[in-house]
Amino acid sequence: MLRIKNLKCSYGSITAVHGVSLSIKEGELISIIGANGAGKSSLLLAICGLMKNWSGDILFREKPLKGMSPPAIVRSGISMVPEGRQIFSPLSVMDNLKMGAYTMYRKGMKAEVKKDFQMVLDMFPILRERADQLAGTLSGGEQQMLAIGRALMARPQLLVLDEPSMGLAPKIVDMIFNTIETLRGQGVTILLVEQNARAALKISDRGYVLETGKMVLQGSSEELLVDDDVKRAYLGQDYGDFYDGREN
Amino acid sequence: MPAETSMEEREQLKLEKLQSTLNRAYKNVPFHRNRFLEQELSPQDIISLADLEKLPFMNRSHLSTHYPYGLFAVPLRDIVRIHTAPGTGDSPSISGYTKADLLIWKKLVAQSLGAAGVTEMDIIQIQLPPGLANWGRDYKDGGEDMGAGVIPNSSLSLSKTLMVLRDYKTTTLVTTPAFAEQLMDHMFDQERNPNELNLKRIILVGEPVDRETVAHLEERLHVDIWLNYGLSEIPGPAIAHECAGHCGLHINDDLILPEIINPATGTVLTSGEKGELVLTTLSARAFPLIRFRTGDMARFVTEPCNCGSSFLKMEWLNERADNYMIISGIKVSLDQVKVYLEAALGICDPDCDMDRMRLGGREILQISLVMDDTLFSDEIKNLEKLMFLTEATLTEQAGVPVKIRLMQKRV
Repeated sequence: MLRIKNLKCSYGSITAVHGVSLSIKEGELISIIGANGAGKSSLLLAICGLMKNWSGDILFREKPLKGMSPPAIVRSGISMVPEGRQIFSPLSVMDNLKMGAYTMYRKGMKAEVKKDFQMVLDMFPILRERADQLAGTLSGGEQQMLAIGRALMARPQLLVLDEPSMGLAPKIVDMIFNTIETLRGQGVTILLVEQNARAALKISDRGYVLETGKMVLQGSSEELLVDDDVKRAYLGQDYGDFYDGREN
Repeated sequence: MPAETSMEEREQLKLEKLQSTLNRAYKNVPFHRNRFLEQELSPQDIISLADLEKLPFMNRSHLSTHYPYGLFAVPLRDIVRIHTAPGTGDSPSISGYTKADLLIWKKLVAQSLGAAGVTEMDIIQIQLPPGLANWGRDYKDGGEDMGAGVIPNSSLSLSKTLMVLRDYKTTTLVTTPAFAEQLMDHMFDQERNPNELNLKRIILVGEPVDRETVAHLEERLHVDIWLNYGLSEIPGPAIAHECAGHCGLHINDDLILPEIINPATGTVLTSGEKGELVLTTLSARAFPLIRFRTGDMARFVTEPCNCGSSFLKMEWLNERADNYMIISGIKVSLDQVKVYLEAALGICDPDCDMDRMRLGGREILQISLVMDDTLFSDEIKNLEKLMFLTEATLTEQAGVPVKIRLMQKRV
């Protein structure tokens, strides 16, 4: 569904992503794992059209995304739940969801939007209770549910989640991950960027490990969960002494 | 559930794995890093599978030169298995595996066993020589992973092996062609009827076998024969396996990227031409191989396979591109044996020939050594003692039984 080949992203003279290749098949749940500064967010910004300076190929359903505006990319079927939620705080929960359905309204698909409202509110009953409340007054976990609900309102074929567990209590994180798993079960293709490597890999089909802008590892979740390199990449640690831990 | 993987998606996944393998090798292994730098390349310059051609070859001598841990791409604390192979130089070849490596290989071996029709209802008996002991462990892991019963590799006499084969109701035997033939001859010598056995199939490993030998074994032992191809050093057995079509071996090219090259020039040959098989690992964490020259001769089979497998197919040829001889599935460097011989006899460049022979059902390396004045002793006892000691030393060093036959000077 999504194929990225040799992607390079730079900010001025600084290169953040050095020739990364990555792919997602229809129906897959893929995790990207890496420490801060590994290039995860740059990669997502390039996919969503929010970064200008990139080279390489990004194909979504065999169509190149190069040169497409962010709204056009959303229309083509990619929705992003950004890092830190970025909900519209002064608007009500309902209005936030309506904003997510903007492209659907533009296509005149009002009946579908109505159905999607029900689907999102069924998935997150707390949002129904808080429908008229200002989004800024919601708790962190509720805001994350709203951000996911808002992205789903665009009926994405590919849902991109950037650090959905960030700053949330462990119980809420479990709930968010359960929701992601449910969505995947419903056939949504998901690209999940996470620092919470174990939790992300447990629900993923495959994972990629980014380190200082380079892809250093990928494989099935089962393989990555037993790999010490994953731990190191997530903690941002280097190798240190080769014999470290095996000396007398 | 994810959709079926298309051809383009598989090619993309291979490129992704190749790039991260190169990134890891460049970052963690000075040997690989220096070779990139010598070519004025960085891993980012490899932007397609075809770019692999830009990189230099590895060969067996690199494994010995970087003894013991010089080619490991992970810290030693990540290694959960270390294996030693005889090697080509003074030092043996050491290979290491992480937990993830073993997990991947277990699945790969299980897949190869599955292709030979093995199921969880089977009992697998592994009978491999000490030089292929690591394969024994991999077949054990793969068999257990698929739920089959496994009788692990152990050194039993021929008659004890036959007893286990019969009494334990083994259905699948994993062994070398040499041992399969030895077993067959032993059974017929002892007037044991193959009907006594529950054996359904033999998986032959270690060396290519011609169709006549296969037909002979199948007919006399009432079994199906399946070939598996592997590397005795790293990463392991079952890199390629036969499918039900029995016309070539499918290479698991999701995990190992194969190339066929002209052994003399190193140029990559187009599909269908005969040449040396070169392998690049796509999943190995501990010990990545980048363009490793196997010395095995093969050709890619371009015709699609009836079995429907999307893995690339090759014909494994009974020739070698290097000066190695396969004795009971173990690769022996003839150049290295000559070095050992020189050291054991204390003479320079001894005049000798080396052949693979059968002795008492076992395969041995026979060295026909030409007598000269430096070797000659007026006491036959001294000469016998020297030959006995030399045979023992060489057997230990080469990892296969060695016999020396003294010859008259050539005229």
